[in-house]
Amino acid sequence: MQEKNPLSPHLQIYGWQISSLLSITHRIIGVVNTVAISLICLWTIFLLFGEQNYEVMKSFLQSFFGKFIIMSLIWSFSFHIFNEIRHLIWDLGYGFDLKISKITGVITIVGSLTTTILIYLFSRNLI
Amino acid sequence: MHHSTKKWLFTKFSSALLIPLMLWFIINLVSIYDAEYMELISFFSNPTSKILYSLFVISAFSFFSLTISEVFEDYIKDEKTKNVATKMLYLFAIVMPLVTILSILRLN
Repeated sequence: MQEKNPLSPHLQIYGWQISSLLSITHRIIGVVNTVAISLICLWTIFLLFGEQNYEVMKSFLQSFFGKFIIMSLIWSFSFHIFNEIRHLIWDLGYGFDLKISKITGVITIVGSLTTTILIYLFSRNLI
Repeated sequence: MHHSTKKWLFTKFSSALLIPLMLWFIINLVSIYDAEYMELISFFSNPTSKILYSLFVISAFSFFSLTISEVFEDYIKDEKTKNVATKMLYLFAIVMPLVTILSILRLN
């Protein structure tokens, strides 16, 4: 039975719309977040090796590149949270209307970017 | 209940659980990521952090194993490769959080 399942349609034949864009971004970001959380786990495991060994990791995280990665992660996590809430609302049976789903799509994009900035400012005690 | 329905429900419950834990985590990550070693140790030594971080890791990996296996289902054509990939994913989703939580418990 399972062997007869068709593969997903190939992405390149579609014209881009906000719905398809968010759908595939949700998947890609999901995979990226999986890798990110695995790396975060390694980071916490690395703490066991003591202060001296942590110096390398610390100087990396304090560099511009480290900051850039952390900022990107806040966005990718925020985006996934927003879009997952959108999915959960669909699962409850609401928001299927084309217009509504476009609006929630825009909210996901704008909301995730705003949340990224707010989380950064809030966590660094800048507001 | 059909096993796919069960899987779907479990995915949804784990995502609903993961959302607040992830928010808690990213807010804290941003404030401590570039901190000194001792500051990180004091953060992870706190019992509340230990519990919340462990729950975050467990729910994150449960959610990943369920959803990434769906991605495999959609994009890996060869049945054998797909099964191996899925099994490896499940193994990783058990080992990784286990090792992480054991390490966190040892930080004092």
